[in-house]
Amino acid sequence: MRRGLATGLLAGLVLGLLVIGTPAGAYHTRFQWGCNDTFYNHDPVTRADARDYAYVAAAEGYQWGGGCWNGNNVDDSPGDPPQDPNTLGEGGDCSGFTFKSWWERAETGDPWFRYHAWMQNVHGPYAAADFKYGTGAPNTTVAKANTVYMDAFASTYHIGMIYWANTAYNEDRIIEAKCEACGTGTWPRTYRGNPDYSGARRLYWAG
Amino acid sequence: MKKKWRWPLAGFALGAVVGATMLTVNVVGASSPERVAVRAAGFGEILHTPVLLARAGEPVELSFDVVCGARLDAPEPQCNPSGSVFVRPGGHSAFSKLPLRREPDGLLSAVVPAGETRAGLDYYVVMDNGRGQTASLPEAGAAAPQHVWSLADWTKVDLGSAHFGRTRAPSSVVRALSWGRGDTAIGLDSAREQSRIGPSAFDVAPDGSVVLLDQVNRRLVLLRRGARPAHVPIPFSGGEGDLAVDGAGTIFVLDSAAKPLVRAFTAAGAPVAAAQLAEPIADMIRVGPSGPLVHSYPSEMWHPTGAGRPPFGPERQLATAQPARSADGGFGVVVHASPGAVRLALVRGDRLVRAWLLQSESSFGEVQLAEPYGDGMVVVVRLWNEKHAQFRVLRLGPEGLLQSFDVEPAEWAESASLSRFRLHGSTLYQLRSDPSGIEIAKFEIGGTK
Repeated sequence: MRRGLATGLLAGLVLGLLVIGTPAGAYHTRFQWGCNDTFYNHDPVTRADARDYAYVAAAEGYQWGGGCWNGNNVDDSPGDPPQDPNTLGEGGDCSGFTFKSWWERAETGDPWFRYHAWMQNVHGPYAAADFKYGTGAPNTTVAKANTVYMDAFASTYHIGMIYWANTAYNEDRIIEAKCEACGTGTWPRTYRGNPDYSGARRLYWAG
Repeated sequence: MKKKWRWPLAGFALGAVVGATMLTVNVVGASSPERVAVRAAGFGEILHTPVLLARAGEPVELSFDVVCGARLDAPEPQCNPSGSVFVRPGGHSAFSKLPLRREPDGLLSAVVPAGETRAGLDYYVVMDNGRGQTASLPEAGAAAPQHVWSLADWTKVDLGSAHFGRTRAPSSVVRALSWGRGDTAIGLDSAREQSRIGPSAFDVAPDGSVVLLDQVNRRLVLLRRGARPAHVPIPFSGGEGDLAVDGAGTIFVLDSAAKPLVRAFTAAGAPVAAAQLAEPIADMIRVGPSGPLVHSYPSEMWHPTGAGRPPFGPERQLATAQPARSADGGFGVVVHASPGAVRLALVRGDRLVRAWLLQSESSFGEVQLAEPYGDGMVVVVRLWNEKHAQFRVLRLGPEGLLQSFDVEPAEWAESASLSRFRLHGSTLYQLRSDPSGIEIAKFEIGGTK
């Protein structure tokens, strides 16, 4: 009896682990299961408000197609395979992070402001290339030479916002959701002088 | 059902339930809202670009901004920071306090009067974020303040306007590697909606071999003349970093992880030591006469991490931070650039030895390289407009420009922001990339180092 019970217990345990844990459950954190859909429209909003908001996401994760973070300064889902939204990890991608940090609305014809909770799982309708070309009512293009903080530099594949312009070595500190291994953060970058990148601006800041 | 199957079946069912429960608890536990931490109330960050170089006897404006961060996951009023900058004119022992005023553009500023700038000055700022929290920048305050070197005059160098597309071809290519993971490949991290990241950095070892930081593949690549690339797996937790090799061949790797650190490896790649950095952001590691130096933010100071074992801890890094980068020959290298002008200086302690002012009709980008060379410097700076960019290589002497040529940016993939070039002897090396892969190219510099 005991040997039969033990054998069955072992086989069942293996089956249980395989069924529930395969293929991703044992690895992915499914961070987004704890996210929400909290947002509200808000006005007016300044560039400083937007930078304060974005700063909370620094040191959080990166998730392609994602959009929620908890502000604990830790990437809670590190090392997910990139380009797979089913990994449900923490953080936004570059365009989703910009959309939330610029307090934009999902309706592309509506240029006004919306507060998205950090834990709201929303990406928004724009890709990096859309910001590069000024797509959507809140967005426009701007000469890179004329950019100021919380404007952005956008290419067809990536976008990062200016956190602090012109360091001593004449870089810009950029706040960006950079890559899965990088997470989200502020890094000195040279996008301003790189022809791949164009200047992008959110309109209607109150200051 | 036969009796002999009863207990195995019962065990099987129990095991399945236990296994499934274990995993469900773990997975949900790892992502449930209860585990979501709320950001502890912190100061935020003081933002400042150090002045570093100013004309003697002219007023110096010091400007700061503060990012307070959000305390609540909801719209809330802006914080209301205030503070003072503490200034010590050259030759004085005591700091005096200058209150910061809010400017129309929102920055907090103070002007050091002309009478206090004749012999340079030290300064640090203490800010209150209006929420009951204070911070200083540099963090060590009076113990390791920021410095402004005063100078009577510059050697002016007018670069004219950029002629995009007219570039010099490399004199030779050390090695080309295609993108990938194999023995003759180099890692590329590229996908939609993220940076396109290649190898972050490289340096040239004393024996002339090239060491590449292939952080995408979590390894060092050692390129020795006439040999196949050798690989050494290394721990690396961030997405990008930087690398420098000292005169003994020791390899120092800056890992720009969420909590950045410097790891040291022998010339063969064996781990030696690791040091956590004092400041949260770093963009450069270079080797000075006393060991590795890390340029980090928000202070923009150079922090020594120690050549030996154990390396310096954060407190010692902050207490020994320097505004100039210590280089060979006892010089300190000082760089302050803007889109309209590049200011460069060689200093010895608080004494300014030589300074140059670069001007151009084109916009300046970043200063990629600034190294003492003979009795002057070799400098690589970006020139750009909205659609074009290239790098201008300059050899500067005491009287001005001795030599210059332009090189293609060749920056299809991102590297560490200031690690595309290295100077070894009289040879300038460039890390170049295109859709097929990377190459390390060489340009011979004239003159005597």
